[in-house]
Amino acid sequence: MDTLGEIKKIIMELLDLEDDPITPDTYLIKELGAESIDLLELAVAINSRFKIAVKDEDIFLTRFRLYLTEATQKGMDNAPYIAGKYPHLTNGRIAEIITHISEGPQLKVKDLVSYITNQSKGA
Amino acid sequence: MNITFSGTRGLLLGGTCELALALAVSMIKSSLFPILTYRSNEGLHRIRHALPQYEKNYDVGYLNLGDRDSLQALFTHVGSDLDFLVDFAQGNYESLIAQADEAEVYRYCMENISFRAEILKTVGRTMLKKRKGRLVFVSSTAAQRPNPGQGLYAAGKLASEALYRTMGLEMGGRGITTVILRPGYVEAGRGRVYIEEQEGKVLQTVPIKRAVTQKEIAETILFLLSDSAASLNATVITMDGGLTHRK
Repeated sequence: MDTLGEIKKIIMELLDLEDDPITPDTYLIKELGAESIDLLELAVAINSRFKIAVKDEDIFLTRFRLYLTEATQKGMDNAPYIAGKYPHLTNGRIAEIITHISEGPQLKVKDLVSYITNQSKGA
Repeated sequence: MNITFSGTRGLLLGGTCELALALAVSMIKSSLFPILTYRSNEGLHRIRHALPQYEKNYDVGYLNLGDRDSLQALFTHVGSDLDFLVDFAQGNYESLIAQADEAEVYRYCMENISFRAEILKTVGRTMLKKRKGRLVFVSSTAAQRPNPGQGLYAAGKLASEALYRTMGLEMGGRGITTVILRPGYVEAGRGRVYIEEQEGKVLQTVPIKRAVTQKEIAETILFLLSDSAASLNATVITMDGGLTHRK
């Protein structure tokens, strides 16, 4: 299944996009302007299309900053702690997000693809 | 007045109470299809007994407040074709706050507040697929003016009202709207028992000098489900004959 292609179709329909500006590295919130209600619709659509359980807080990395704080409070290394929380993210992607986290919401289209791929394996 | 509806299938939570049964009849007569929830065989029997001539015009589903498996099973049964929700469900626990059993307090809040949030999440996500839905929460004037002993009941109603109001704000742009009805003294269920216990004296405090009837409630909810009421969103309507507005 072309997960990226399907995700792009869903996002374009939900956000009413006419051109196709979406790549794996497109930021959903920073670039496409997705709001919380758009993400909710996206989660519902992904659940429906891919027949996987979707936990919104995980697929949209909602608690990423909170987990960083938790890791610090517990005296643990950030990256392994985050990896435990988001098993669908690679170490490289986690490092990338941590590096740029002060620049705004880091959620990218490829993170959704990773989540779906990971959930599909477990299904 | 020509009343029209955007949809047909409506889930009635707490479907065994007198008001829900009265509404179910009104809905069926308006060509809507109610799905009534029950939590015991006795409740199921009450539904069957109240709607004998309409057996092909409604459905039933098991739901027990606090039982998450029953919620999942209910929505597997109902499917994604759901247009309306009318929520009558509310457990009763009367106690002075300072006398309330701690375990009962936690259980009551879980069943009547936390579980309702889970219901709303499930319903909201179901309706979002169609970008259309109408939700009515049947609250009570006790939310505004509880009698002594009604603290938990009032807390449950107020918290649930907040959930419904907020959902109407969050999802109104996606065609999913909410409205809350607060009846006062009603000629049904616990209301009737209370009025009888007080030998009708309590009705003297109501400016219209009588209780609200089941028919009035059912017809008002039917109107709230209609297209004409679609702009009533994230708000509370009080239907108490003026009770809570007098000094």
